[in-house]
Amino acid sequence: MQQSLTVVLERNALLSGVFTTEPYEVAWAREARWFIHVLDTRGTGTTLQATTQISPDGLHWCDLDDHRPTVAGTGLVSWPVREFGGWLRLKGRVDGPAESGEQPAAKVMIYLALKS
Amino acid sequence: MTATPTVPGSQPTIHPDVRLSRFNPLPRILVYDDFNSGTHGWVELLGNYDGESNLDTVDDHMHDFRPPQLSSCSFFDVGTHGAMSGTYALKVSTRPEAGHTAVAIRRLTMAGRGRVQFETYFTYKSEAASAENAAARQAGGGEWDGNIHPSERQFGAFTVATDICDGVRYHCVARYLNTDLDNQLRQQWVYPTVPEPTPREHLEGKVKLDRLADFTAPNPEDWKPFGEPQELCYNEVPTKVNWHYLRWQIDTSTRSNVELQVNDRIYDMRDIPVPPYDEEYRSLGNLLNFYVSCRTHTNVRNFLFLDAVLISVDW
Repeated sequence: MQQSLTVVLERNALLSGVFTTEPYEVAWAREARWFIHVLDTRGTGTTLQATTQISPDGLHWCDLDDHRPTVAGTGLVSWPVREFGGWLRLKGRVDGPAESGEQPAAKVMIYLALKS
Repeated sequence: MTATPTVPGSQPTIHPDVRLSRFNPLPRILVYDDFNSGTHGWVELLGNYDGESNLDTVDDHMHDFRPPQLSSCSFFDVGTHGAMSGTYALKVSTRPEAGHTAVAIRRLTMAGRGRVQFETYFTYKSEAASAENAAARQAGGGEWDGNIHPSERQFGAFTVATDICDGVRYHCVARYLNTDLDNQLRQQWVYPTVPEPTPREHLEGKVKLDRLADFTAPNPEDWKPFGEPQELCYNEVPTKVNWHYLRWQIDTSTRSNVELQVNDRIYDMRDIPVPPYDEEYRSLGNLLNFYVSCRTHTNVRNFLFLDAVLISVDW
């Protein structure tokens, strides 16, 4: 039997501006899949964009690839990642129209589903 | 009547199974968690929520205890350190925020009453400094004297605890207070004198804790020392991992602590009070939960690593 583990890295968290998730150790896993569920947004026209980051040590980070999925408003987005080494996190940003007058923010659940 | 603690030197015969020979289990092994084969039910503790699955109804202080990790104990300087046995250990990690607590819990029930023993091999570290985390400039940081590394003063506390209900609900708790809230080394075992605030008490308007409250016992004055200070083997820098033996025994027939062994020290805990809840809780028949937590006193991630866990009973 292969191993699997799903963890919740952000739970009903209100994200704004540039954000990163906490480092997560995944050296045991062969494959991973991100799920970002935007439950609610603050501001009109709010978008959340994120990309996978990897690290040799949990301290220093770079992008895994050019994939930058975006959620406009609420919704659920998912994408797989492989060959990521020992650590994973997301780096992203929440944006909105400058004229909205309200700091754009997104209330999210972020899941990481791992399999050996 | 309370159970008699183990007399040093009178331990049972060493177990012939190489996986168990480093432990001293009671007659029946309930749990043997080797983290090379998964998390074995250790999961992030989360507070309770309403019937609509609205997680905004979770208490602020029980909302973000972080998921435990299967860690290869890898570091920037040497790469993979590995666990005591095999590659992986269970890692409980805080956020880099003073007062943040990470908690992993293991949920069981009781098929009898009597002695229950939790054993593990553990280590504890603060996150090494980097440009991004700026740990070297956080509280507790400072000069390196060639022996004591400043990161040791940036590790707050770790805790082993239970949540038990046999009609009466109570918690047995032991905490290693590495530093006080001013990041000065204390290296002292402590216990709480009050029961842990519950979500129901919040719902009833009796208690409302802040996001970073010390949920086991929020008032620092409610923690009392037992035994003499104990220096553990942090081993100078944040990237060297030395495994420590911990054996903690309680008695559910008397709702009491029995003893705590940490390496060569055995603390008689029979007289350490276990404060029960005054109120009755339903839906918790024979509840037997164990949790481990890690709490930082500065803006630096704190890590508690468990190589393996063995829980045994005499019923």
